[in-house]
Amino acid sequence: MITPDDESLLRTEFCGLDFASPIVLLSGCVGFGEEYSRVAGFSNTDVGAICLKGTTLEPRPGNPPHRVFETPMGMLNAIGLQNPGVDVVVNEILPQLDFTETRFIANISGSTVEEYREVARRFDDSPIDAMEINISCPNVKEGGVAFGNDPDMSARVVATVREVTEKPLITKLSPNQTDIAENARRCIEAGTDAFAVINTLMGMAIDIESRSPVIGNNQGGLSGPAIKPVALLKTHQVWQVAHPHAVPIIGQGGISSAEDAIEFLIAGASAVGVGTALFYDPLICPKINAGIADYLRRHEMSNVAQLTGSLVLNERQACGC
Amino acid sequence: MTAHRDTIFLEEAEILERVAWEGDQYWLKVKAPKMAATARAGSFAHITVHPLRPMRRPVSILRVHEAAGEVEFLFKVFGEGTALLAERQVGETLSVLGPIGRPFALHSERPRPLLIGGGVGMPPMVFLADEIRRQHPDFRPLMILGSEVPFPFRMQPSEFLVPGIPEGVIATLPLVEEWNIPCRLASLQGYPGCFEGYVTDLARRWLDALDDDQCAEVEVFSCGPHPMLEAVAALAREYDLPCQVSLEEFMACGVGGCAGCVVEVQTEDGPRMQRVCVDGPVFEARAVFG
Repeated sequence: MITPDDESLLRTEFCGLDFASPIVLLSGCVGFGEEYSRVAGFSNTDVGAICLKGTTLEPRPGNPPHRVFETPMGMLNAIGLQNPGVDVVVNEILPQLDFTETRFIANISGSTVEEYREVARRFDDSPIDAMEINISCPNVKEGGVAFGNDPDMSARVVATVREVTEKPLITKLSPNQTDIAENARRCIEAGTDAFAVINTLMGMAIDIESRSPVIGNNQGGLSGPAIKPVALLKTHQVWQVAHPHAVPIIGQGGISSAEDAIEFLIAGASAVGVGTALFYDPLICPKINAGIADYLRRHEMSNVAQLTGSLVLNERQACGC
Repeated sequence: MTAHRDTIFLEEAEILERVAWEGDQYWLKVKAPKMAATARAGSFAHITVHPLRPMRRPVSILRVHEAAGEVEFLFKVFGEGTALLAERQVGETLSVLGPIGRPFALHSERPRPLLIGGGVGMPPMVFLADEIRRQHPDFRPLMILGSEVPFPFRMQPSEFLVPGIPEGVIATLPLVEEWNIPCRLASLQGYPGCFEGYVTDLARRWLDALDDDQCAEVEVFSCGPHPMLEAVAALAREYDLPCQVSLEEFMACGVGGCAGCVVEVQTEDGPRMQRVCVDGPVFEARAVFG
């Protein structure tokens, strides 16, 4: 539980949604919102929002094993959007969630633009609080990052989904592209309300005895502390484009402490995503909340929103080389 | 909200005892009262191995001592993570998450459980034997353990006669002998008193020595390397015996959140990818191996 003392410091508004904390639990890490409640001491009330597992129109079995593998300070995953399909999620899973505990965000995916639209349309007619458009999944053959790497296609997906819902739309951007800021600019024009920055970085691990990739899908998405510097820079780059339009960002990638979260907030994030760190410490969220609150007190700030984009860039001097 | 809430505990568990056995095998006893009070045979713990390693490692539970709040683990070094776990010493603490997973289910109409454990699959079989002697003292179980590295205990000759077991195959695990549960050991390495062959070959000798009524009382429980489980499943199918197997897979969250540890399982609705952590680790052998 967030203490009354910390509550006013941590409570923040994101796309018109009331977040009890800037922490957002990331899609793909926490199933459909109830899985971590198995752990005694874990509470959905400790986070601002939970992004549900990526959902497609039809059920998907996902990729063959192995699906996860530890790498230096990180892990590869290639789950492949295993999900029971949007109708099961809307009709059977959402009714079991307690919407008084936190905000629930659907993560929508598809192989075609039309599929994104249809999944969004069905979530629009549900109690879900917001939708995250996943144009950055690296582990599926069609859609996902294939759309997210192409600014035209990214904008098309956003515009198409925008047509069928008034709910807040968060576009999840891929780091696996040349110019993330240009993509962000196009998505803003297409009507996104917010960004999630970043999804995983594409990577591979090889078993040298068999000479085969360890991951069943051959390649996977890299997450964890290893990607934090990349995620931080991308968050700041997107903030520079999004800030003038008042489009907020969920900064994410390797956050595993309050200090990490604060870095993302300073870089321009209004909320911070926690995923892989939960695997190491399922009870990390209260610690991050307390750490952020302590920092705000120490810096005589009254609310976490004051941190967003407070980055003080160094004066760059010509090095003469 | 769902019924599974608050069933898994995160504990900072002090290592109370540690024994290194030949073959890179390690036995640990830790203080973890919540897990000791709630673990069942087949459930496992998800353990941090090092502060700079982001993924925990699933480790099967060997025994629990509820009154003392203690849990025993036995594991083998398999990769970098378990190698780091093997370096942890008495007095250090481990972050243990557990108990996790669907345990083995015993059935009173099948009072002759056949427990087959291979290598790192031995611990859940010992835990199950402990559960059987406590909850079903009327059962007549047989345990068969196999290993291709020296067994992580001091073998002793068994005083129990077991039908079908070849002469000279007398080595047993002293702990289960104390529990009045017959056990025999198998290995291709020619260890004294052990059956030279596969665990399934030895199991077949026992099954063939039972009459039809006795055979109809057998249920097979197994944990071990995948090829061994496949052979156990085939044996159970041949003798038309129900069989539960405990599986392992690379695992990230361990609580059902990431779907990283799946196995393909045949269900009434067709093949489905199910999570080893919370849908398993114990599955019906037929559902996994056909």
